Formats: sequence, structure tokens, C-alpha cells
Amino acid sequence: MSDSLIVVGITLAYLAAVLWVGLQARNKESSSLEGYVAGGRHVGVVILFFILGAEIFSAFAFLGAPGWSYQHGSPAFYILAYLSLVPITIWALGPRVAKLGRERGYLTQGDMIADHYQSKPLGMLAGVIGVAALVPYLTIQIAGAGLLFQAATDGLVPFWLGALLAFLVVAAYVFASGLSGIGWTNLVQGIMMIAIAWFLGLTIPERLYGGVGEMFTQLQQAAPEYLTMPGANNMGWGYFSTAVLISAFGGAMWPHLFMKFYSADSGKTLRKVSVFYPLYATLLVPLLIIGFAGILVFADESLARADTVLLRMVMDVANFSPWVIGLMLSGALAAAMSTGANLAHTAAIVLVRDVLSPTVMKGASEKATVSVTRWSVLGLSLIAYLFALANPASLVMLLLGAYGLIVQLFPMVIGALFLPRLRRLSVMLGALVGSVAYLLMDFVWSSPLGWHAGVWAMLLNVIVVTACQYLIKPAAQGPSLASQPS
Amino acid sequence: MNKTYHLLTGLHFAVCTLAMIWPGALIANRIEPTVLGLPFLFFWYILWMLVLFAGMWVAFVVRHGGGRHE
Repeated sequence: MSDSLIVVGITLAYLAAVLWVGLQARNKESSSLEGYVAGGRHVGVVILFFILGAEIFSAFAFLGAPGWSYQHGSPAFYILAYLSLVPITIWALGPRVAKLGRERGYLTQGDMIADHYQSKPLGMLAGVIGVAALVPYLTIQIAGAGLLFQAATDGLVPFWLGALLAFLVVAAYVFASGLSGIGWTNLVQGIMMIAIAWFLGLTIPERLYGGVGEMFTQLQQAAPEYLTMPGANNMGWGYFSTAVLISAFGGAMWPHLFMKFYSADSGKTLRKVSVFYPLYATLLVPLLIIGFAGILVFADESLARADTVLLRMVMDVANFSPWVIGLMLSGALAAAMSTGANLAHTAAIVLVRDVLSPTVMKGASEKATVSVTRWSVLGLSLIAYLFALANPASLVMLLLGAYGLIVQLFPMVIGALFLPRLRRLSVMLGALVGSVAYLLMDFVWSSPLGWHAGVWAMLLNVIVVTACQYLIKPAAQGPSLASQPS
Repeated sequence: MNKTYHLLTGLHFAVCTLAMIWPGALIANRIEPTVLGLPFLFFWYILWMLVLFAGMWVAFVVRHGGGRHE
């Protein structure tokens, strides 16, 4: 009981510190739309590095990565691979997005799509898909925070209270300080995560096996299949490779990543961030090691849920003091909250800017827009919290489906950035066919050759776009163009 | 110069990507030799992460100069 009190005390102190940093970050810019949404478009290298890092490192990465290496072994390197490759997309797309945003005043993905293709409904559609994908994603972060609290305090802080605490802290500083609050708290939480992950990743093998090298030597004797592909559960190179590709290059279509390109102070800043970005992926190395450490420990009775391996190792096996458990909880909460803040912020902006502004809020002043955006942060977080109380498990399905749809925006976005000759009809049909194909493969049929369904859907998408470009002549699309308000 | 630059960066990205997936990673799919206590395949991914970083750094310096700040 007193142990749990120490854990709770450390974690509450950590939450208070994050809240303080987030509220301190409030400045006079937070009240203008561009300031609240994009930090006035002059966010520098260090903060942008931590924002882009923190939003990819969610609770899912912090708990899921060790879960994968524990359950599958080497296939877990797919996470290491795709996080290392993400900066290629930032390098290639970022500076162009930032430049267009500055010149034409874009703040969302929908802004760019609606303007480039001269179609407000298309921008709204991107907005609706965005919110539909972001809210379940936020729900998973909030639910993750609740589960972590409950497990690490032996139930002293129940699920509903832990989730509520984490979500209140996040909603408070996003409400008050906008992107500047997110930036500074992501810096603090990023450093926290890196420190805790390396501490645990080196200490756990030391305590249980006498070192990382010794641990892998024992693993090589007892269970060598974990240390090479296809791993313990026979995952093929086809799935591995296509999952890496779709996650690394499609992932930048997520609104909360894409919209951060607008906030950079220059294209050069984005390039510099992408140079250092692969180093953020080193955070995964200790987390994967912890999962490998679990393979022999739980050899006799395997864990019912692989993603609890980090928690079980720290709490039951390695015999840490409550102080360390409190720090572990803070680090894992940092992963959930730093991603959650970006998701709540982005979902609110997309909702107001892409969906409400062209419809019910036509002609609203900038001040009113900022105010509605702020309250939407609270509203959407509350909805996500209620979802989390209801049934988080079924949301994973929703997230998977939404992810497939988000990725299908890729040709549309590339068209707006680099290929002015791509027409609206082609990219719309392509995205439609790609999305339907993805949903069918994911939920109805199985994906051919065992590849990641997103890759097949993307191939179909590109084929349809190309075919439309050549087969449908611009003259033949007259009526459909004329019927769109622009 | 500009064309060569884009070609070389593109090539660097392609090589790093292919090294981490099929078929590039096939040649590293083994446990021995271990490096820094890690199985070779684990080390391989860390190695290519660093290669990607180094190449992008060179590309950045060539394009934007080596200035410490903006």
C-alpha cells in the first residue's frame, strides 16, 4: 500500500511538472489562429524535432515494441526500420508543404487539397476522414494511460481516474497554450521517455542475465529462432517489407504529422529535423531489448497479453523499488500524453477549419474560430474519454480502417505538391478505389501473398489515377467540374 | 550539379530503404557475428539507421552549408 503511494506520488509530481511547463508556454501568439495552430509558423529545429518524435512514439510504441520483440522476436525490427525511414518523407515533402502553407495561408491538409483541386467538398471529406481517424487514436492513448495507472499502482488509482487525470492535464495545456504548449511539453516528455527507456533497457538484462551480451548468448542457446527472421511465429519477408514501406511513407499522411510541416520556420529547419530524426529511433533499441529479456523469463507460462511485458518485467520480475516503478509509469505516460496532446490539438483544428468553417461557421471572426477550436479540444477529448470508458478494444478495428483511408490520400497530396497535371477526378477515383480495396482486404478477404493490405490498395490507387489521367480527357469531365462550387 | 545532387540523395534513400527490407536485409539474417553483444540482424538495423543519418547530414551540408544556426 505504501509502495503504491510512492508510485502515485512520483507520477503526480511528474504530471504537475508537465502541466506547469505546458501552461507556462502560453504566449500572446496563442490567441491568434496561426499562433494557436502552427506556432506562428516559426517553430525551430529542437522543438520541431521533439514534436515530430513524440507524436510517433505513442503508448502503442512504448508498450507495443517490447510486446513485439517478446512475442515474435526479430520481426519487431520492422518498427526500428520504419521509424528510421520516416525522415525521408519529411525531407522530400516537408519544405514544399511549408512553403505552400506560408504563401497561401494553409493550416490543414484539407486547406491544401480544397485549394489545389478547387473543391471545398473534397477538403471537407479529407477533414471528416481526419477526425474519424484521430478520435479513436486519441481514445487509445487515454485508455493506455488509464491501464498503466491501474497496473502500476496495484489498483490504487482505478482505470477511470488514471485516464481522467492524464486527459485533464493534456486538455488543459492544449486548451491554454496551443502548439507552443505541445512543443515545450513534448521536449520534456521526450527526454523523460529516452532516459527511462535506456535506464530500464540496460538495467533489466543486467539484473536478470548479467548484461545484454550475456542475455543474447543465452537466448541463442535456448531459443535462436527469435533472433533472426522469420521469428518465432513465422512472419514472412513479404509482410515485413510491405508493412515497413506503408508505415514509413504513408504515415506522413496522418494530419497531426503533416500539419506540423506548416509550423516550421523554414524548409531548411525541416531538412535539419529530418537529418537528426533517425537518431530518435534509437529510443526503440532499449525497448526491444526489454522484450527480448522477457522471452526466457516467461518461457514456461507465456503472458496472455504481449504488450504487458514491460510492465510485468518492471513490477514483478526485476524487483525494482517503487521509485523506479513510479518513474517507469511517468515515462510510459509521457509516451501516451505527448502523442495525445498532438491528436487532440489536430482533431480540433481539422474539425473547426475543414468541417465547421465552410458550413455552420461561415464568416466567423478569427477570434471566434480560435475560441471554438479551444473548446473543441476539450469536447473531443471528453468524447475520447467516454469511448475509452465504454470499450477501447473495438476501437483498434476502427483505427485500422481509418489508417487505410488516411494513407490513400497519398497520390492526392503528391499531386497538389508536385504534379499539377493530376486532375481532381483521377485522384478522387483513385482514393475511392484504394480505400474500398483496403477495407475489403482488411475485413472481408485476406490480402494476396500475405502482404500488407495498404500496399495493394496503394498500387490499385496509383493504377486508377494513371488510367484516368490517360483515358479520360479533360473535355469529358465538364459537367462534374461545373457542379462543384469553388 | 543540381541534377546529380537529387540523383545521389534519391539513391541514398533507396539503398537505405532496400537494406532494411527484402531483399537487402536477407544478407544480414543471422546471429553471428554478434556486435556489441547484439545479434547481427539487430545490429544491422542500427547500422543502417546511422548510415541514413550520416548520408542525410552530408546532403544537408552540401545543400544548405554547414552553419550551426539559421
